[in-house]
Order: sequence, then structure tokens, then C-alpha cells
Amino acid sequence: MTDSGHRTVEHTADLALEFWAPDEARLLVQGARAVIELLTEGTPLPTTEPSARPLQLDALDPEDRLVRWLSEVLYLASVEGFLCTDATLELPDGALRGTVYGHADASEHLRTEIKAVTYHDLKLQRSPGEARARVIFDV
Amino acid sequence: MTIRFERIDDCRWEIPREGGMRVPGRVYASAAMIDDIRRDKSPEQVANVAHLPGIVGHSLAMPDMHWGYGFPIGGVAAFDEDEGVLSPGGVGYDINCGVRLLRSNLKIDDVRTELERLSVALYHAVPCGLGRGSRLKLSERELDHVMEQGAAWAVQQGHGRPEDLKTIEEGGCFPGADPDRVSERARTRGRPQLGSLGSGNHFCELGYVAEVFDDDTAAAYGLHEGELTLMLHSGSRGLGHQICDDSLKRMLKASAQYGIELPDRQLCAAPLRSPEAQDYFAAMACAVNFAFANRQVMTSFAREALSEALRMGDDELGLEVVYDVCHNIAKWEEHEVDGEMRRLCVHRKGATRAFGPGHRQVPKAYRAVGQPVLVPGDMGRYSYVLAGTERAMKETFGSSCHGAGRRLSRAKAKRQAKGRPLFEELRQQGVFVQADSKRTVAEELPEAYKDVANVVDVMHDAGIARKVAKLVPVAVIKG
Repeated sequence: MTDSGHRTVEHTADLALEFWAPDEARLLVQGARAVIELLTEGTPLPTTEPSARPLQLDALDPEDRLVRWLSEVLYLASVEGFLCTDATLELPDGALRGTVYGHADASEHLRTEIKAVTYHDLKLQRSPGEARARVIFDV
Repeated sequence: MTIRFERIDDCRWEIPREGGMRVPGRVYASAAMIDDIRRDKSPEQVANVAHLPGIVGHSLAMPDMHWGYGFPIGGVAAFDEDEGVLSPGGVGYDINCGVRLLRSNLKIDDVRTELERLSVALYHAVPCGLGRGSRLKLSERELDHVMEQGAAWAVQQGHGRPEDLKTIEEGGCFPGADPDRVSERARTRGRPQLGSLGSGNHFCELGYVAEVFDDDTAAAYGLHEGELTLMLHSGSRGLGHQICDDSLKRMLKASAQYGIELPDRQLCAAPLRSPEAQDYFAAMACAVNFAFANRQVMTSFAREALSEALRMGDDELGLEVVYDVCHNIAKWEEHEVDGEMRRLCVHRKGATRAFGPGHRQVPKAYRAVGQPVLVPGDMGRYSYVLAGTERAMKETFGSSCHGAGRRLSRAKAKRQAKGRPLFEELRQQGVFVQADSKRTVAEELPEAYKDVANVVDVMHDAGIARKVAKLVPVAVIKG
């Protein structure tokens, strides 16, 4: 069983993240947590009960789904102040649906700005018992 | 992937055609720079761009090139009207990120003792960083007008002077904008941000003309040694980011549909005449205009702040717009290719238009000497004003470099800055820094950037853009 985790990787102008988890659904959750950690620079989040919101996305393939999911997490955080901490996700062919859990109206916890999630040099590897991704962000 | 370089001369390197490349690549760099460039992924990106359909001439990279996403930063590529494509990744997320330079009637020696006070006044006047959005409250209708009219909208609202518009690229209003092509999300992101700097490498900077290399051209631009200047670097904020994001999703699908093979998905593109490309162009134009209006509004905030702090009227201050250039844009332009004038779609990503003397799109006041090219350096050293040349028109689709280019990653810069009194260090160098975030200042450390003097020397020696003046910063406002 692979643990879940993430780390930042050196990139000259922008920022790259690597993250891993036992399967793709948990990988997406791990990626979301990494994005929130970057945006909040690791400052503690509210201790209040998280709220839930439904989410549905269409995508061309798993790589596109990963970028669209992280873009959604980024949008919810930077525009709506909803900081995602967890999610239960189903990944039917080329799509994503499920429930996102997080803290609403929490924009005061944001410390930095990420412009976008890019497709450049995107890596997504899926094998039994492990999923890994590398994503470059425009900061 | 190993990229082969062939040296052409002291400033030019060719990346020969290989595999699916439709044209060769050309990199402008000195021998001293090329080793650093080779270690980067940007040469591979130059080669990737050369794969795109309808590319004309060379896939170009300016001497400030570095690894971006899709196109390299510092990349220029032109596409044929019929065969070519439009690629949002060739423009970037911060559509019409650009630089504006203003000159003043003040001498640096007359305000040296006031600089800290002026930096604080500017910091309070120009919203920057996270959580400091615009002081303007735009209605949906007003946002439409901003996206359609650009800087002219701001001037109509009292933010600036009508004559400001004469010395902005495109007159501050890019044709073809259609607000109906802009998503609700992009509008939501952009609406509270007009008239705000943002963070990262964006800045508002007071400086002075420290050296003049070409008296006549400098005089035409209104620049004289010892005079105080103001420079702004910002773009289309969240509106542009979202427009790029929205378009990539559509362009990925379009690339597959039109059978465009992509060496990097971030290069996704659609034929110039396709509905996908036309919709993106109309939305991109909205962001271009938003960015022109953004810099115009901040210009007016800065003028008010300096006027109040120095108790001087507009005439006494001067603060006239020297020029305002786009760094991230795709434009229809006419260029001579193999002796024939052709209409091309020129993508500049982290590159500046550098039209030479006589071109009708160069403002009348500068037509005899060529378009001003504004090249900011890092916040501790200097920036340059160059002039576009005839050779740029022949070789680079009238394009030049846009800045110093990063040398260190943000993480490395932060490690080098750790424990150092950065604000004090910069003050010792004569630069007062006001910033929303200490982290930004650490990431933007002067040594995080290449020496912009080396970058502009390549452009000058290659005959692409002539050195006109050097500006030295004295007060910097960062997000």
C-alpha cells in the first residue's frame, strides 16, 4: 500500500508539484490538498466543521481531468474562498463527480496567488496500488 | 531530448530542423549565455513550437529566454494566415502583461530626500498583492466597456489624459474584442481587479535616467539624464488567466479535431480561421484591453499620489507616458517574408514588439527613430529603454526581449534570501522597497534574475533593438 503525499519540485520560473496516492481518486484529493497548502503557505485552517458541495466535471482523458480538477479547486479557493480539504470522488470515463469538503468564506487564510494549472510537462502514472502525478503551475 | 545548436555568429544560434519541426529554431544569445540556456528546457520548447502548422520563418527565442509552459518565455512565432494556427499557450495566462514607462519634469537630485515618503505614497495609492483589489467598483456593463475600449475607457472616466493614448501600443485599444466570448468566471475574477498590480514579478517603480546611449532618440522619447521616471509592470489579472484557462480546454479538443499533433499539450491550437481560434481571439482582445485599462488606471493613481506627496500640479510633475508595451499577445501584423508582404499572426510570449523607424504603427512622435522597447531588469540594478530597428522587422517579425529572465527558481531565491535583511540591503543600494509580502521580495531578489545588461547587449549587438537609455530604480512597490 502506497502512502499519500506531495512535494514541490524545482522549476525556473514557475512551480511544480509531485503527488502520489494509492489510487487515482485519492491522488486527486492529495493534489487538491497540495494546492491549498501552497495557497495558504501551510497556515492552519479553521477548526470548524467543513461544509460540502457537489461537483461534476467533464474531461477529455485522465490527464485533462487532473488539470480541470485542480483548476476547479484553485478557482473555488481564490475566487470563492472555499478551501478544499477532502473529497469523495467517482471517476467514470473522462469525467469526475462527487462531493468536495472544505471551509467556506475562508479567503483570509490565503497567503499567495497561483495563476493557473498548466498542461505543460504533465505526468500522470497509474498502476495497481499506486498513482503519481507531476503538475506545473503558473505562479 | 537533446537539442543541437549551430552557431551563426556572436549573437545568433540555429536549432536545425529535426523530426516534426516545420522550420528551424533561432535563439539570440551570447556565447557566455548559451551554456545556461542549454541546461534549461527552453530550447526544447523552441523546437516544440516549430512543430505547429503554418509557422513561418523561424521559431524564435530572445536572449531573456527561459523555461515556461508551452512556448518558452521569450518566444516569438508567426503563423501564415491560411495555414497557420492560434495557440493560447503562445500568449500565456497573463494576457497583455506589459510595461508602461512615464517620464517626469523632476530631477532625481531634487527628490532624493523624499524617496522613502514617495515610495510609501505609491504603495498606498496602487493596490498590490493578495487581498488588495481595486478601489473601483465596476458594474457588468462597465466591465464590457473596459473590455471593448481599453485605456480609452479609463481616460473617459477621468483616469488620465487623452494624450496618454497616443503612446500606447495599439493606442490602448485592441481591435476585435467581443465580451460575449468571455466566461462568467473570467468576468467574476476580473471585475474587482481593474486598477491593481497583482503580485509576483509585477511592480510599480520610481527610477531615473542614469545613462543615455543615444541622445537624439532619448530626446525624441522625452528622456534626459537625471530625470525621474515611473514604470509599471502588470497585466490582465484574473480575467486574462481565466480566459486562457477556458480557451485551453476548448483548444485541446480542437487540436484533436483538426488533426494537429502536439509535442506538448500546452501548445494546443486551432486553425486561425476556425471558430475556436476566432472566439479565443475575441476573448483575448478583451483581456488585452482590460490590461491596457489596468495600467492606465494605475497611472492615474500614481500621478495623484505623487502630486499630493510633492504638492505639485500635473504640469510641474510632467509624468507623461513614454510608451506602453505588451509582453504576452497574439496579433495580426504585416511582415515581409522572402520579399513578399504577408499577413501573419505573430505570437509574442515574454517578448516585446520592436517596430523600426518609419512603421505606421509607431506613434508619429517616434516614427523617425523607431518604437520604444521597455526592458525592465531586477529591482536592485537597472532597466533599459531600447529602440526598434529595421533589422528587427526583417529578422524577428519586429520583436525584441522583454526583461532579464529568471536565473534562480523561486525556491532557490527564497533559500538565498533566508535570514538576510533584504529591505535594508536594497536600501543600502539606494532602493526603497515597499511590499505586501516579504516572500515576494525574497522570490524577486535581484540575483534571482540574469543581468539585464547582458540581455540588451545581445539585442543591441545583433542590431535588433538599439540601446537608448539606462534607468536605475530608487523606489519599488511589489505585491
